[in-house]
Amino acid sequence: MPVAWATLKRNWLVMQRAYPWTYFIGTLAPGVFTVVLALLSYEAIGGGRVSDWFRGASGTPDYLGYVTVGAAALMFTTRMVLWVAKAQITEQREGTLESQLLTPARRLPYLLGVSLQAFLTSLLELTCLFGTALLLGVRLPAPDPVTLAAGVLAALVAVVGLSIPVSAIMIAAGEAHITQNTLFCLIGLVCGFTFPPALLPAPLTWLGELLPATSALRVLRAASLHAAPLGEVAADLLLCLGLGVAYAAVGLLFLPHAERRAVIRGASA
Amino acid sequence: MTRAIVTHDLVKVYPRRDRPWWRPAGKRPPAAPAVDGLSLTIPAGQVTGLLGLNGAGKTTTIRMLSTLLRPTTGSATVDGLDLVRDAREIRRRINMIAGGERMVYARLTARENLWYFGQLYDVPRARLTARIDELLALVGLSHAADQRVEQFSKGMRQRLSIARGLINEPSYLLLDEPTLGLDAPIARDLRAVVAELARGGVGVLLTSHYLAEVEQLCAEVHVIAAGRLVARGTPAELTALTERQHTVEITLAAAGASADQAVQALAARTGAQVTADTDEQLRPRYVLRHRHDLAGDLATTVVAAGGAIVRLEVTPPTLEDAILALADGARQPEAVAA
Repeated sequence: MPVAWATLKRNWLVMQRAYPWTYFIGTLAPGVFTVVLALLSYEAIGGGRVSDWFRGASGTPDYLGYVTVGAAALMFTTRMVLWVAKAQITEQREGTLESQLLTPARRLPYLLGVSLQAFLTSLLELTCLFGTALLLGVRLPAPDPVTLAAGVLAALVAVVGLSIPVSAIMIAAGEAHITQNTLFCLIGLVCGFTFPPALLPAPLTWLGELLPATSALRVLRAASLHAAPLGEVAADLLLCLGLGVAYAAVGLLFLPHAERRAVIRGASA
Repeated sequence: MTRAIVTHDLVKVYPRRDRPWWRPAGKRPPAAPAVDGLSLTIPAGQVTGLLGLNGAGKTTTIRMLSTLLRPTTGSATVDGLDLVRDAREIRRRINMIAGGERMVYARLTARENLWYFGQLYDVPRARLTARIDELLALVGLSHAADQRVEQFSKGMRQRLSIARGLINEPSYLLLDEPTLGLDAPIARDLRAVVAELARGGVGVLLTSHYLAEVEQLCAEVHVIAAGRLVARGTPAELTALTERQHTVEITLAAAGASADQAVQALAARTGAQVTADTDEQLRPRYVLRHRHDLAGDLATTVVAAGGAIVRLEVTPPTLEDAILALADGARQPEAVAA
């Protein structure tokens, strides 16, 4: 996979040179603030207790653990989407999209290279988030390592898969902010990152089930909060992988059309 | 099979962008084609020119041939490979260099850029390191190999872009204004490289606004206007076609009937177009247009008729004039037989 490896190396170099370390304070802030706010409201408003409804809907009485895993998953999802989905529109803005498209390299290894760099960067950011949560007094039980590893892998497939059609939309539309913020609002609302989706009206929960982040999150919570064995989360794992692969396939199908549209827009501008 | 890029009736129509996608097109006329029935042959081992005014369809043609755009209708082949069906294989054999475009990564060094593109073109690792050094030397960037591109001047970026375009040792090179913005010595070196590549068997398609560049490099030139081929031939043949665009402007010290008659007689005898008026100091002024330079004849005629010349200016045909003339001749297609 020389293209994936070369793209990983290129992106890593660019990230080191383009972004000062202070940039990552901004990327960590939403996740940290989510945990801090949850902690404050849990202690100040809930008095350190959760309702029976929450326990039933979320499957755990550990509200802080629930929110911490959700905040980490949300940060992982948004950061991965920002790197992977915006990769090609960033190329377009930098003036390198056409030199990419001129090459015989396929899009999938290119996107995998971007994804690997994004994954490594996100792991560093997640380490910082969990470290901060630990300092704030949040304690997570020991996870089931196999289920957790499978959950992380499934989450990676899910968000990369989701990012590919989003990338196609971005370069076809020639804009990133409206697309990414609409997606982030949607997944923040329906995927159950910080509250049980059972709070939502039924159509929104169905919509959430169509996004692979929802099932990925269930697997990650089961692994980290309940130490669930792999067999217990197999259905959600398969659903997550299936949706991720389906989104990726649709994205890869439409990406060449979107790229040509971007070239036409550039040519006729 | 002849090694060449061959196009047949290539047409490209860009979709209209003046209405939202959900609103029906109604009775608006369809967009005019950017390229309209273009048939070309770009043989290997030769530099072929593609000339035309801005908007003539040169860049669209190059983008189609480089597989960035798909033709609306028509077909094109590269060494027998179909431009649409075999696009990935064609991309291994061609490359494109566009003047004024960035096309390289600003945060990477020159060497890192070439390494990355070498990977995308699947250049063998053993060959790539040597190839990068060769290309950096070729474009005069060996001294800046490990410097980030963001610190480069515009000319240095363009030279790196040229090296990028050669990284895969293409069989066909599409050059869209490649010397735009380059200093004269670098542009001269690039022309030498292009000529050398062609001698080595590479087929080159060149668009340029610099007539001297085209004359120096191109064995054959295609002139297009409004997306259509209006003339093709060697630079000498095309220049012969446009010689009538020599313009001679002469201003006399004072009006005089004999000088005026002499100028009109010369115009009638040679078939030159003549216009007569006065300059801001109300001195008589004549402008003659002819395929030959009539300055000598005109000066002799005027002096013989007793006129006193205060100003004589000759404007030789420019590329712009040549293309304009050929575009005017579009009503007579195939103005020059190949």
